[in-house]
Amino acid sequence: MTQLTTAERIALYGGGGLLLIGTLGIGLLEIVAGAPHPVSGEGQIVHETLVPLTVRSSIMLLGLLLWGAYAVSSVAREPPADTSI
Amino acid sequence: MATNIRTRLLGQDVSFPLDESRLAYWLVVMRLIVGWWFLHAGLDKFLAWPFDASWFVGGAAAQTTLGPVLVLFSDGILLSFTNVMVPVGQVLIGLGLIVGALTRLAAFFGAFLMVFFYFVNGETGGWSHGVITGDLLGLLIFAMIATLGAGRVLGVDAYLARTDFVKEHPRLRHFIG
Repeated sequence: MTQLTTAERIALYGGGGLLLIGTLGIGLLEIVAGAPHPVSGEGQIVHETLVPLTVRSSIMLLGLLLWGAYAVSSVAREPPADTSI
Repeated sequence: MATNIRTRLLGQDVSFPLDESRLAYWLVVMRLIVGWWFLHAGLDKFLAWPFDASWFVGGAAAQTTLGPVLVLFSDGILLSFTNVMVPVGQVLIGLGLIVGALTRLAAFFGAFLMVFFYFVNGETGGWSHGVITGDLLGLLIFAMIATLGAGRVLGVDAYLARTDFVKEHPRLRHFIG
């Protein structure tokens, strides 16, 4: 059974949580409270967002940064067990 | 043969059975397809050499969240570095995944590259078809391969893990699958 340290919790739950907020959370908010997305005559989707794209991408980017920091820090911690047998 | 995964998630005991043979099969399929995706992308750039990434790091990326970082690579020696490292990186990531060598390292750098593709392509296109794009799914598949580390399944990593060099430097196990 694996027990996560506080730092791992922040990285895994925090990173995954931020990615979910950026995709699912804000996505639901856009559907509930956002502008409609009428399709123009040429099939072009006119997309006006409630939450600016830069805010959304910054939230997701922060989540990915936490994942990346977790990957880098796991190398600095003790080596994984030998499973080559 | 099935294994019970026993761990904790959000403070709750989690246990679920995992069919090992299907997992091994699935990971090899993912490794080969994703590996070919990147190997092909890298080889294409070499076949049409010279490759110039300035339109991406300088033009397309300028107005995006990653713009301030990427525009630093849009001229001079850093652009030359990018022009070489993108195709070289793509070929190495692709080869690494296909032959299962340094699988976790290759998948990490695959995810790293996909971060740039996802945010620059997504934001410049306004994510008009939603934020879940092929680029994001590619990023997640790389993250999945890095997490599961599948290089030992029909891969060179199975051999690397048994070498004296890796046994003497156990931290290297983080980089192999």
